[in-house]
Amino acid sequence: MPASSDPAPGTSEASITLAGDLHARPAGQLSVAAAGFASTVRLSVNGRDSDVDAKSVLAVMQLGASSGQRVTVRATGPDAPAAVDAVIAILAAATAVE
Amino acid sequence: MAAEVGIVLVSHSAALAEGTAELAGQVGGGGVVIAAAGGTSDGRLGTSAEKVAAAVRRASAGGGVLIIPDLGSAVLTVKTLLADLEDDDDDGAFGPLGPVEVADAPFVEGAVSAAVIAAAGAPLAAVRAAAEEARDARKL
Repeated sequence: MPASSDPAPGTSEASITLAGDLHARPAGQLSVAAAGFASTVRLSVNGRDSDVDAKSVLAVMQLGASSGQRVTVRATGPDAPAAVDAVIAILAAATAVE
Repeated sequence: MAAEVGIVLVSHSAALAEGTAELAGQVGGGGVVIAAAGGTSDGRLGTSAEKVAAAVRRASAGGGVLIIPDLGSAVLTVKTLLADLEDDDDDGAFGPLGPVEVADAPFVEGAVSAAVIAAAGAPLAAVRAAAEEARDARKL
């Protein structure tokens, strides 16, 4: 389940445990959606310190996020909550087991 | 939202240009025109200024066009074409199509990255930057 929190003003964050691997097409869908927001949107996997720009599809693919991993989405900016919600929704739908 | 940016993929191989356009189009979600200009006009490996010019016209949606060439002489074909059009000052063939720029980027990664940012409705400069950032992208 996505868990929302509010770590700092203007920043939103939520995490989701993937039910499947993140493939190329959903990675593209995720980056298209993230790029539509003014906020910066970053993704990290399993609580690692390093994170990547969700608007860069190549960086999202390089994450290699796979089934069972926990992905954290953190956005900072004027539309941060909406950006986090949109990206979490794509991660949930794209990796859902059929 | 500003008019959409189109993408033209110029490869020595028609199959490579078309396959890369298909892949980038799918990753980008299909909202962007990605035109392939691969091979010579008689179907051999090589590049064709006529094919590139036709692809630029197909890809133009008013927001400008980003051309991504594969290897050395594809770059030369594109540059020569653009220089010729600049010389034709009286509204060259691309005049009404908006700006046309060339990306210095790896072919597949640049196309995919550019397609995603173009699909998000970003302007030409951002689409070109996305393609060129692909130079630094790691796969492993």
